[in-house]
Amino acid sequence: MEELQKVIVEFAETSKKTKFYFKDIEKAVQKVLPDAKMRDIKKACTALINDGTLIYFSTGSSTMYGLKGRGMTEDPE
Amino acid sequence: MGLSLAMLPHQGNFNKQDLAEGGIEVAFEPKDSQNAINYAESRIYTDAELKNYTEEELKNYKVKHAIPDLEELEKGPWPSFVSDAKQGALHRKKLADDRMLIDRDVIEDMLGQLQVSFDEGETHWKHGGIVGVFGYGGGVIGRYSDLPEKYPSIAHFHTVRVAQPSSKFYDSNFLRTMCDMWEYRGSGLMNLHGSTGDMVLLGTTTEQLEPIFFELTHKMQVDIGGSGSNLRTPECCIGKARCEWSCYDTQALCYELTQYYQDELHRPAFPYKFKFKFDGCPIGCVASIARSDMSFIGTWRDDIRIDQEAVKAYIAGEVVPAGGGHTGRDWGKFDIKKEVLDLCPTKCMWMENGELKIDNAECNRCMHCICVMPKALRPGLDTGVTILCGAKAPILEGAQMATLIVPFMKAEPPYDNIKEFIEKVWEWWMEEGKNRERLGELMQRSTLPTFLEVLELPAMPQYVKEPRSNPYILWKEEDVPGGWDRDIKEYRARHKR
Repeated sequence: MEELQKVIVEFAETSKKTKFYFKDIEKAVQKVLPDAKMRDIKKACTALINDGTLIYFSTGSSTMYGLKGRGMTEDPE
Repeated sequence: MGLSLAMLPHQGNFNKQDLAEGGIEVAFEPKDSQNAINYAESRIYTDAELKNYTEEELKNYKVKHAIPDLEELEKGPWPSFVSDAKQGALHRKKLADDRMLIDRDVIEDMLGQLQVSFDEGETHWKHGGIVGVFGYGGGVIGRYSDLPEKYPSIAHFHTVRVAQPSSKFYDSNFLRTMCDMWEYRGSGLMNLHGSTGDMVLLGTTTEQLEPIFFELTHKMQVDIGGSGSNLRTPECCIGKARCEWSCYDTQALCYELTQYYQDELHRPAFPYKFKFKFDGCPIGCVASIARSDMSFIGTWRDDIRIDQEAVKAYIAGEVVPAGGGHTGRDWGKFDIKKEVLDLCPTKCMWMENGELKIDNAECNRCMHCICVMPKALRPGLDTGVTILCGAKAPILEGAQMATLIVPFMKAEPPYDNIKEFIEKVWEWWMEEGKNRERLGELMQRSTLPTFLEVLELPAMPQYVKEPRSNPYILWKEEDVPGGWDRDIKEYRARHKR
């Protein structure tokens, strides 16, 4: 789990984009850890959401993940 | 979090035993006990505050922005949201400052901005963002005005979706408490209900989201609904609660799957939205066949039950057809041939020696005959669900109806067979689906035979809609007795790619 979380955070920090679909994260993780299971990646993402490292970004119809502090991660005022 | 959807009216601490002692049979038990909500205790506003304007004041009330086009909408024969919004705006105007937590002018500014959108032919709402409640990936949809200087009250105007109880059984204590809470912490504007079935609370600020979530979940025992790439709030018809045609307990299945798939509802990992809907019979009161990625429609696999005496009574005019549904005009004497037999889409009904006969193998469950003669005909007793997949109704690119996948499956607790089917579908869609691709689109892209292979279901002739138009079936060598010999190089020598 910790290894998965580390890979996810590394991807989120280094990717050109600041928001990712779950599938983007899944692909990135499986590049580094080919045996990583989708369910485990989701659990790792949920843990990162819960500890505040990642945030959800929702358009209403689809949802993306982002790294808190990178890109637009606060409410526009 | 595994909060229970309120399956029962919020009137007391309900559990199966209490209800049984009261002589009420329920087919299931809520996973959590239901707390009583008593509006007298939970209310925020007094009666005087709720009715704080006169009809005369409303008639003379002018919104602070000019809204000529919106006022035009009030002139039609239908109830108008503009009239409702004006009532809300006047009500807020007359409340004391400390009786609401977001800006007083929120409704007036919403109307003002809508008029600008009418004038300019474009929206001034910005959608989406990071708003939400902690740990949830759905249920709150960020909305911001792109004219915040002109309309400061609606700079933030977020939407909160509230999961409806199965079949939308509310009681007035719950609804009044909800309305008070929303007037206090939000704009007071709501949709009952949105397309997904949720109660939609329209317009609040970011600071109010967590307090609203607390009020909903801890005090009112209701969860927020689905949005984004989640399982959306499941929705069912009235089912066995009030309908004799329901072939399975739609509320129980809806409730069970809502509870069982809490993670999918609140923590998005799907390629896009996914909807379940549950119709108890093929009449389809929630139109699951057109509105959900996975549609569960009640059906039966034995014979339609016939009461021949009641058939005779209909023919003799002793019973009003269609349950009195067409009594607004004199349609003449009931004619079973014209009104039932000839309208059967598969022509599987006939009269023989004064008795109604049905070739049940040919019946396609349109239910027209049952609707016309409900006292004489009833669905069979060996009941279950038909499962269809792939419907969608997007604004762009056009709607698509669902495709029948499982003709019959039993639907009984704990519904393991249904869960197994759902998870096979999800696994494939999550693996193969592109970002923002609905299940129906993936089924089209990868073909029905591929989908059937994934689900380990045998293909049936009934899947073929029109021979030679969409036969769907591409034979593989192992499907054909004896196989075939083919030299692909020799073939390509004559047929360029």
